[in-house]
Amino acid sequence: MEAFFQTYGFLLVYMCLQALLGLSTYLPLMAGQLSLASSGFYAIGGYVAAILSTQVFHTSGAYPIGYLLLETLLAGLLSGVVAVVVGIPALRLRGIYLALATIAMVEILRVVSLNLSITGGAVGIFGIAQPFSSPLGYMWLVGPLLLLVMFFAYRLEGSRIGRAFIALREDELAADAMGINPTYHKVLAFALGAMLAGVVGAISAHFLNTWNARQGTFDVSIAVLAYVLIGGSRSFAGPVLGGMVLTALPEVLRPLKDLRFIVDGLLLMLAAIYLPQGLANPNWLARRKTAPVREKT
Amino acid sequence: MSLLEVSHMSRRFGGLVAVNDVSLSVQEGEIFGLIGPNGAGKTTLFNLITGLTSPSSGNLHYQGQDITRLPPFRIAALGLARTFQNIRLFGNLSALENIRIAHHIHTKTGVWAGVLGLPAARAEQVGVERQAWALLERVGLQGRAFERAKNLSYGDQRRLEIARALALRPKVLLLDEPAAGMNSAEKATLSGFIRQVRGEFGLTIILIEHHVPLVMGLCDRIAVLNFGQMIALGSPQKVANDPAVIEAYLGVET
Ligand SMILES: Nc1ncnc2c1ncn2[C@@H]1O[C@H](COP(=O)(O)OP(=O)(O)O)[C@@H](O)[C@H]1O
Ligand SMILES: [Mg+2]
Repeated sequence: MEAFFQTYGFLLVYMCLQALLGLSTYLPLMAGQLSLASSGFYAIGGYVAAILSTQVFHTSGAYPIGYLLLETLLAGLLSGVVAVVVGIPALRLRGIYLALATIAMVEILRVVSLNLSITGGAVGIFGIAQPFSSPLGYMWLVGPLLLLVMFFAYRLEGSRIGRAFIALREDELAADAMGINPTYHKVLAFALGAMLAGVVGAISAHFLNTWNARQGTFDVSIAVLAYVLIGGSRSFAGPVLGGMVLTALPEVLRPLKDLRFIVDGLLLMLAAIYLPQGLANPNWLARRKTAPVREKT
Repeated sequence: MSLLEVSHMSRRFGGLVAVNDVSLSVQEGEIFGLIGPNGAGKTTLFNLITGLTSPSSGNLHYQGQDITRLPPFRIAALGLARTFQNIRLFGNLSALENIRIAHHIHTKTGVWAGVLGLPAARAEQVGVERQAWALLERVGLQGRAFERAKNLSYGDQRRLEIARALALRPKVLLLDEPAAGMNSAEKATLSGFIRQVRGEFGLTIILIEHHVPLVMGLCDRIAVLNFGQMIALGSPQKVANDPAVIEAYLGVET
């Protein structure tokens, strides 16, 4: 057991971080907004943590958790503010056009970070201080965060604002005619996803020990989108499952050597074909809900 | 003073004038019929009133307030709710969920209160639940509450859409061809139902309908549109005997 955690500690934490990124893309999707901006906010969050921990908070020994939490808070806030500023014009666009606009945002952020000195240019920022003595130590932070965010998403789905999101996803025009303000709720969903991605970025910067312009790229956006699509976009369980499975899969297949990339790709294709609703399909659960006859009130 | 005042409203789509300089006013408590051949501009007029389409010219006043340029969600919040000719329910959601969603404007739970389940949010939720069930029951769909809206029969979907609009507690209810696709028994039931809910909910109703007996029997006043223009307005008897209306419907040259 000990050996297992030693070997796979990094992977386990990484799986949770990717599940969280999946949730950050799921939140805007809940309101019907296909955004690929998560990786951009992830990059912003990472730079906030990297800059603060290397240039502002001078410490020696193990990095204080309090500072890390402060970084995640600031990273989340900054990402949220950027999301509102970008979101108000961008969310007028729909479907594929919104996706393209968010890709453009991610690219702009990448180029900016490559050219600023505060972000370390092409080299980036390295030697980011470690709050834990081993990769698995991050589980103390990432595990509870994942559970909290899952709880948040679950409760949101059944609450007034979550219902407004889902109504917009189902039929924006009908939702509008039912008194739901489309812009407000779309920007809110986008900003919630952005804040989460920023927080994940801040933790990841410490976890990966280094942060540079290769962290929040278009590739990451696509990978995260795959978590949601393969996992399922109709309930919070989808992106969590998708993020974990897709992150673990290449490791699990490692014994296959070079063949694993082919098998990995094949499995993804099969999942997309045979489980178009994703691995977590709420209809399977919904059947249970229809059964009991509800008392009239 | 009239409740809803449409003045000189027009809407062009390219070269086509879908609604052409229409003026009419709807009185509080009446059932106002809107009839006319296909493509006459009836649905477009509904879209103008509910803010889904912006007018090319003209004005719209509701309770004396200029609502011409307000977005749909604000108009809905002021008390105008509608159904759609091509039913627009939230198809993947249950009948009950469709009605819960429509309580949005009468509730105010924010993100955190909802997620944490604070007492105020819970109390609000209980209220929504009670009202949603009452509405489902009112339209006879309590037994289908957990069915997905898109799996309901056509008639049930129409009734659910009316219930969803009623959840907004509107003053004005706009029904776009609510009897479309129903047989004559269902039409008679619907007619009685519309009259009842007007009394129960204190509604003013604007109704688009093709079925002439239903409109004649139900409406206090009727406006007739043809090629975007209003060609007649008045009591059912007056409209039925209007030569211009007979011509529009029968295509007789005069
Ligand atoms: N969004 C639109 N774009 C272009 N033409 C439209 C649009 N909406 C309606 N029209 C046209 O306007 C005319 C009136 O349509 P509509 O209001 O739906 O008629 P009705 O409801 O009386 O059958 C039709 O010729 C229709 O094709
Ligand atoms: Mg029509």
